[in-house]
Amino acid sequence: MAVATEMMDKLKILAEGAKYDVSCSSSGSFRRNKDGIGNAASCGICHTWTSDGRCVSLLKVLMTNSCIFDCAYCVNRRSNDVQRVLLTPAEVAELTIGFYRRNYIEGLFLSTGVVRSPDYTMELLIEAVRTLREQYRFNGYIHLKLVPGADPLLVQQAGLLADRVSVNLELPTREGLALLAPDKSRDAVIGPMRQVNSLITINRAERKESRKVARFAPAGQSTQLIVGATKETDRQIVTLSEQLYQRMELKRVYYSAFIPVVADTRLPALPNSPLRREHRLYQADWLLRYYGFSAQELLDEERPNLETDLDPKTGWALRHLELFPVEINGADYEVLLRIPGIGVRSAQRIVRARRQGHLSMDDLAKLGVVLKRARYFITARGRYAGECAIDSTLLRSRLLETPAKKGAAQLELPFSRPQASDEAISLISGEL
Amino acid sequence: MSGVYRYDGSFSGLLTVMARLLPQRTVPDAIGIDPPQQQSLFCEAIDVATDERLVEQFWPELIARLTPGCLHRIRQVFLADYPERELLICRYLLLAWEKGRGVAGMLAHPQVAPLWKLAQQVGHEAHRYLGFVRFQEVNGGFYYSAIAPDHRILPLIASHFAARFSDQQWVIHDQNHGEGIVYDLRQRHWLLLPMERHAKPDLTPDEEHFQQLWRSYFTTLAIDERQNLRLQQGKVPLKVRPWLVEFG
Repeated sequence: MAVATEMMDKLKILAEGAKYDVSCSSSGSFRRNKDGIGNAASCGICHTWTSDGRCVSLLKVLMTNSCIFDCAYCVNRRSNDVQRVLLTPAEVAELTIGFYRRNYIEGLFLSTGVVRSPDYTMELLIEAVRTLREQYRFNGYIHLKLVPGADPLLVQQAGLLADRVSVNLELPTREGLALLAPDKSRDAVIGPMRQVNSLITINRAERKESRKVARFAPAGQSTQLIVGATKETDRQIVTLSEQLYQRMELKRVYYSAFIPVVADTRLPALPNSPLRREHRLYQADWLLRYYGFSAQELLDEERPNLETDLDPKTGWALRHLELFPVEINGADYEVLLRIPGIGVRSAQRIVRARRQGHLSMDDLAKLGVVLKRARYFITARGRYAGECAIDSTLLRSRLLETPAKKGAAQLELPFSRPQASDEAISLISGEL
Repeated sequence: MSGVYRYDGSFSGLLTVMARLLPQRTVPDAIGIDPPQQQSLFCEAIDVATDERLVEQFWPELIARLTPGCLHRIRQVFLADYPERELLICRYLLLAWEKGRGVAGMLAHPQVAPLWKLAQQVGHEAHRYLGFVRFQEVNGGFYYSAIAPDHRILPLIASHFAARFSDQQWVIHDQNHGEGIVYDLRQRHWLLLPMERHAKPDLTPDEEHFQQLWRSYFTTLAIDERQNLRLQQGKVPLKVRPWLVEFG
């Protein structure tokens, strides 16, 4: 029983250390079960949701929370006084399989603090994953964190064993990184990212020649940015993401609103609504990846930050009213996607359904298209149902009417406990 | 010809009814395993015996007139726990016989939209249960899971689990509908069988250990500063929680 409680304590500490890594997806891989256990579902499967509403699909855990680095925003930094524990590669594998057999999880997300050296740490991670793949014949999803500064050969091995690999950028600018994570360099992060990208490209070409070539990181790579710890604008962040998607072919960029987990003089006082800002950035990110928008369209030098009270697509539409209303029966798919309130699914359904006949407003509702926002920007069979003139200020006030209440309540949640946030603010701002 | 049709509840049974009804181009008052009593006061219930040979003749015609996607929707609706599911299928097929494969896109048509919506509900529930199944290790060397879905989703999720857990014996028990899937490790296939509504599994000592680990892990994951119970409840409705280890 002593062993059991020891394991319980370790798991608690190491999960605590990993939970601020926001990557949760288990999608994009097609790994099939070959005479062992597990497979990867390309659509990804959430298994449960925590009390903060985030989905759980992977066993997200650190190998160890010991770390030679001293990053200002991190619980596990060297100078923080916390209990240090370590899971052996065998323990990680055993835990993963035990959870997986019971269908608690979709796979493993393995990260770690840096012990001894980046290479030594990377080797530990690789051994855990190799045990899973070879000894347990596990074919489920594995997301492996790359340790900045690790040897390129180790990075290559990691990609051959994992479904997705990632290295966190953490801070959007070089200056921010130098300030808050002095032991991490931008090059140590970008290096492996670039290497992974080229290995994926090479692997794709090789697999075209022969299907026997093993897949390299079939679910691609992702990264994470902490938002609000340094003074970057949304424009800087969204532009950076756009470059990462275009030049590095990243699958995802995750944004994590900065929550102070440790006090540090280098950290800023808590901004008013970090979660709302995080939400808007994710919306903008979606517009980049699935809706054909460019960063330049969403934000420019005059407006470097996203609006808090309107989603970025609606904001864009209000600045481009000359393009609206759009006739739903004639517009191209790409144009439909730009209508506020109409998402990928609705646009696809409209395109499909209108082949069989002209759609009316009622038909749209039957298709499941939500018209709350969309009706101000469309006509159906030439009819406009917005009940007001297409005018920027008028529309803005109408669009703000309903969502404001709900949003405000949701926003206040994290800060409705004065003791937690006030304490943090005074701790930090006092020192500033 | 209107009327009330009774069949044995199997998919072949329903196809037999459809094969008989479609040439007449009418929608009956009711089709069911046990159609409502009141209607039989006015018109007699007609029993349709499942006719495999007729189904065999009917099947190619069905495939010719429907896209694979539409066929899948019909299967999903057949598995829905919804009193008029057979009528929805009947109305849909009538339209398909009239208009051909074009029905696949007529999403707003009154004979299509309700079927589409119900199929989507079943599909969503089936997908959610890919995650909500919780196996428990039982003495005797197999893994047992109890669920209580709204619709009869077992046939829709069985192959997923069969591919994934092909090296362990397992059972998924739908306590709402009194049936279960049993996976046979040696034969490497699954069977849908009727099961008693209640069963108390005899757990292994290891099982308790893993459940505790999982519970403690799950609680640790939440970030208190971001608590949002309404969002959580939308994702994990209260009705599924009794079967989830982490909410126990």
